[in-house]
This record gives sequence, structure tokens and C-alpha cells, in this order.
Amino acid sequence: MMELAQQVGATAAAVDWHAIAPELVLAATACIVLVADLFLPDDAKWLAMPLSAAGIIGTLAAIVSLIGAGNRLTLAGAFEVDGFALLFKGVFCVLGLLILAISFHYFRVGRYYQGEYYFLMLCSLLGGVVMSSARDLVTIFIAIELISIPGFIMAGLRKGDAKSNEAALKFFLFGVLSSAVMLYGMSLAYGATGELLLEGIRAKLTAADEPLIVLSVFFIVVGFAFKISAVPFHFWAPDTYEGSPSPVAAFLSTISKIGGFVGLIVLMFRAFPDVADTWRPIFALLAILTMTVGNMIALRQTHIIRLLAYSGIAQSGYVLVALALIEPGATASNEQAFQSAVIYLAIYGIMDAGAFAAAVAFARRGGSYFIEDYSGLWQRSPVLATLLAGFLISLAGTPPMAGFWAKVFVFLAAIEAQSYLLAIVMGLNAVVAAWYYLAVVKKMFFEKAELAEPVEVPAVLRVAMGLAAAALVAVFVYPRLVTELAERSLF
Amino acid sequence: MNLEVVIFGVMFVVALGCSLAMLFAPNAVHVALFLVGAQMALALAFLLQGAFFVAAIQIIVYAGAIMVLFLFVIMLLGIDLRESLIEPLTGQRGVALGLGAVLAVGLVFVGVQGADLAAGGGDGAAALTELNQGPGNVKALARALFSRYLLPFEVTSILLVVAMVGVMVLARRISAVENDRRAGVPAAEEEAA
Repeated sequence: MMELAQQVGATAAAVDWHAIAPELVLAATACIVLVADLFLPDDAKWLAMPLSAAGIIGTLAAIVSLIGAGNRLTLAGAFEVDGFALLFKGVFCVLGLLILAISFHYFRVGRYYQGEYYFLMLCSLLGGVVMSSARDLVTIFIAIELISIPGFIMAGLRKGDAKSNEAALKFFLFGVLSSAVMLYGMSLAYGATGELLLEGIRAKLTAADEPLIVLSVFFIVVGFAFKISAVPFHFWAPDTYEGSPSPVAAFLSTISKIGGFVGLIVLMFRAFPDVADTWRPIFALLAILTMTVGNMIALRQTHIIRLLAYSGIAQSGYVLVALALIEPGATASNEQAFQSAVIYLAIYGIMDAGAFAAAVAFARRGGSYFIEDYSGLWQRSPVLATLLAGFLISLAGTPPMAGFWAKVFVFLAAIEAQSYLLAIVMGLNAVVAAWYYLAVVKKMFFEKAELAEPVEVPAVLRVAMGLAAAALVAVFVYPRLVTELAERSLF
Repeated sequence: MNLEVVIFGVMFVVALGCSLAMLFAPNAVHVALFLVGAQMALALAFLLQGAFFVAAIQIIVYAGAIMVLFLFVIMLLGIDLRESLIEPLTGQRGVALGLGAVLAVGLVFVGVQGADLAAGGGDGAAALTELNQGPGNVKALARALFSRYLLPFEVTSILLVVAMVGVMVLARRISAVENDRRAGVPAAEEEAA
């Protein structure tokens, strides 16, 4: 009430329209796609995809126009455009284009509700773009909901398939539960400080609030842990990924997951860094559990999507390591941890989307997602085999792909912060992970093929995978490409 | 006797009457209708207090949206006139009576004591008075919604569209024509998972 009373006196804050231009372009595209779908004849419904792609490219243009304009703060400080926001907006848009490429043939041939699908995907993407700039609790919460809710529906788009229904229902129930828990945590933070802005919360936190803040951070972290599928809150992920249409699984494991991480990073670094002592152990525990359990279960998978799901869980663990290194006052090592998390997320998104693209491309004709059927792929389609091998090698964190640097930076940050236990657990897990990723590569290159005919890959997918792989190699050769961006994204 | 007292009297009678009728009406749909009446009367009470926004929300959300939800449930489950009198949880009645008594005592206590908004060290009453002066609380809310909270507000509207589209997609029945067409789709695509 007090807050409202103050606002009556204050003149309405002017909105910096340029700062929210990317969001406006993306929202407008989503609406255009939805309306256009009404008027498109059945055989031309696929046009929604190029339309969406054009919109995302427009959004990218708006993002580029904001580069170098300095930090912009609008909507009374609730929305900030800084290096961090721009970097992740860019990452989301690039991933969005990749997902569009993966979706195109799948949805066109399957004739699942194409217009609706692209609309929902754009809305979820918008959630990620808003999340990058959100600097108050309300905006963060609405953004995370906008990322998740279209996901529930997209997961269930294969309506005739019981597994898809199961995927959607599980995702929905866990998603709603986690939102409620997160919201409860946020309300505690608001209650303790009377502030919604992250900066305000940070300024007003006092030692007296500690029990309340510990509870609040705990609930918020648990809520986000569901979204980023950290162990022990990961149960929904493998079933949901397997059951939902594969492009949607790719979407959930990249954009949706990174969106959750962006929210978590912003909250932890902007609102609660000074009380890091209370929450660092939570992250250390989550990181160790997530890496270890994810990798151990991934070892036994025979289905490529489930393998990617469990390995994706383990990959979340490496980012959580970076969050577990924060120490109040230790600026240099905090900055290094922050940068390593940012770099990891950016590289992870590209390589994971690439691996999903290759899996979808392989399943197009053969119809199989089983790893057994990948044997001898090199003799059948050398290009597809090489690309998939590249993505898997990158996920494993071995040269000559960018995934190597992603792991190295987090590892170095752990050493710098003197968290040797985390560094050791991480190193061991990287070895375990390399085992199952390279097992697939070995199958493709050194085993005999049962079928001889090559796997046909549509041009869109080929271009997308090629570009993603090229980007990963480029970053490996010249890591300044990403470290430079990460440096600029420091808060 | 001024107008305010008259309106309060009418509201009082309608609210109490509807609430009682709700308890004793045998038909579930009638109960729902009486609930609407009680909610309307409460909205009038808020109006009398000068809380215009809450009054409007009371009608839109409770008398509108939540009522529709109740009706949905009634329709879905069917109207069963014979109500079961067997208690699924033993001792439910006793606990209900006990809790009801506690609530009644609490209400009487607050009524006798008089609720003071300023109690507890806050300046709630002052803030409320301040708020209701000048442009009034509806304008204050509007100003907050359309300036500082503009983005979350607009994004929420997108969220609602997403929900609508989702319901359409998931609830739409697959037509026979569509089914036939799907049959022509290569098996690999359909059974990919």
C-alpha cells in the first residue's frame, strides 16, 4: 500500500521503447504468425516457419541496434539492457533459429498444428528474451512462466500418442508445483525487505532477516532446480523429452533450461550475493548430485533422446558448480565463476541443439532413436555421422570443439576459488561423460552398418547443423569470441 | 436516515439471505446462483467502503470467472440430488464444529476489540487515507500497472493468449478427414518416438 501511495505522487515513468524493441518485435511476430495461420490453406501452413524465422532475425537486428548504447534502465529499474541481457537475448534468438530448422520438416510432414506450434515456440522464446533483462521479482516470475507454459502445450502436441500425453502431463504437474514453490520463496524475500527490485532487496538485506532469507533462497532455488532439471528434481525431464515431439525436446533442453539458468544467475548475483554463505552449500550439493546422478544414469541409456536428456541433466550440474563458487567479497574469483557460467550456457545451447538436430535428422527416415541403429552411420552418411560426432565430442568436453573450453573455464574457476572437491568431482564426471558420448561415436565410425542406404537430410537441417558445428570449431580455435562477450556481460 | 445506511441494509439482507439460501437449497445449480447473489452483495459492501477496484474485481473474478468454474464442475460431475450422508472421515463433524467455534470466537473478539489498521506500528490507516485522496485507488493502480509494471502486465496478456491457444489445440477433436490424411503420412514420421 505504501508503495502504491508513493507511486501516485510520482509521475508515470517514461518507457524506453528502444530498450524493449526486441521484445516488441518478437511479440508482434508471434501475433502475426497466429493470425496468418488462420488464413493459410492447409497445404501452406508451413509458411508459419519462414515467417517466424524472419521475426527472430528482426529481433536479432533490434538486439544488435542496442549494442554499444550503454546500459539502459527502464520501467523504474525493473528492466535493464546491459551486456548480460544482450548476450543472452542473442543466444536465445540463435537457438530459436536452430530449433525452427529442426522443427520445419518434422511438423510439416507430420502436420501437427503448425501455426499454433510456431506461435507457442515464439512465445516461449519471448519469455527467455524478457528474462535476460528482468531485474525485479515480478518480471522474473512472469518471464519464467512465459517460458514454461507454452512448453506444457508443445510437449503434448502429438495428441494421438500416449507418451506425448504423459510427457505433457508430467511436465505440467512438475512445472506448476515448482512455480508455486518459487513464488512462495519470492514472496518471503518481498516480505522480508518490502522490495521487488533486485537491487533494492540487496540493499535492504540485513543480518536480522537471515532465517527468512535462507528459507526464501531455499524455496527459490528448489523452484528453479525443477526448471533446470537438477537432481533430485529431475524426474520429469527424461520422460518428457522422450515423449514430446523431438524438436520440442530440443527446445526444452536448450532454451527453456537456459532461461531458468538466466533467472537463477540474475537472482543470485544481483539480489543475494552478500548472503552467499547461506546458499553456497545448497548449490554445491545440487551440483555434485546433478553431475554424478545424471552421468551415471546416462551410461545405461539405449535411446538417443534419453541419453541427451540425462546427459543434459549432468551438463546442468557443471553450471551449478560455477554458482557454488560465489563468496561475498571475493570479487575476482566471483567474476571468473560468473563468466564461466555464462560461457558454459552459451556453448551448451549450441552443442545440445546441434546434437538434437542430428538425432532428428537420423530418425526422419529410419524412424529410430535407438543408439544401436547408429552403428556404421559413417559408411551410410559420412556428413551426418561427422556432424553428430562433432556435437557429441563437444558435449563430452574434448578438443577440437568448443565444449572443451566450456568445461575448462568452469574447472579453472573452481580451482581459483579453491573449491578442490568440486573440481575433482567435475573432472571425474567429465571422464564418465566422455565414455558414453564417445561410445556413440565409436558405434558410428567403427561398427558395421546393417543398412546401406544413406540417410537423407533436408537442406534446412543440413545448413543449421553445419553452421552450429562451424561455430563450435571456431570458438575452440579462437575462444576470445566468447570470453570477450562474457567479460562485457559482467554485472 | 441517509442513503448509505439504506444501501448497507439492503446489502446486509441480500448477503445474509443468499448465504443462508445457499446452505439450504437442495439443487446444486441453485446453490451456485445464490453464491453469485452473495458475491454481488459483498461487492456492494466494497463500493460503500470506497474500494472501487476491489468491488469490480469481486464481480469479475468471483461472480464471473470462479462461478463459471463451479458450474463447469457441477456440469461435469452431474447434478446428484441425493446427497450422501455418510462421513468418509470419521470425526469430521466434531472437528468442523470445533474449528467453527474457534473462528466465531475470533471474529467476536476482533469485533469487540475493534480492528485498528495502525496497530502493529505500521501506518496502514494513514497510507489508506492518503491513497483514497487525490486521484483515488483505481487511478493509482492503473498508473502502477501501466508504467512500472507495464511489461509484466502486457506479458501476462500474452500468457493468457497462450493458454487459450493451448486449450483449443489440446481440446480439438481430430476429424475423420484429418485422420485419413495422417494415415498417408510415412510411418517413420508418425512412429518416430
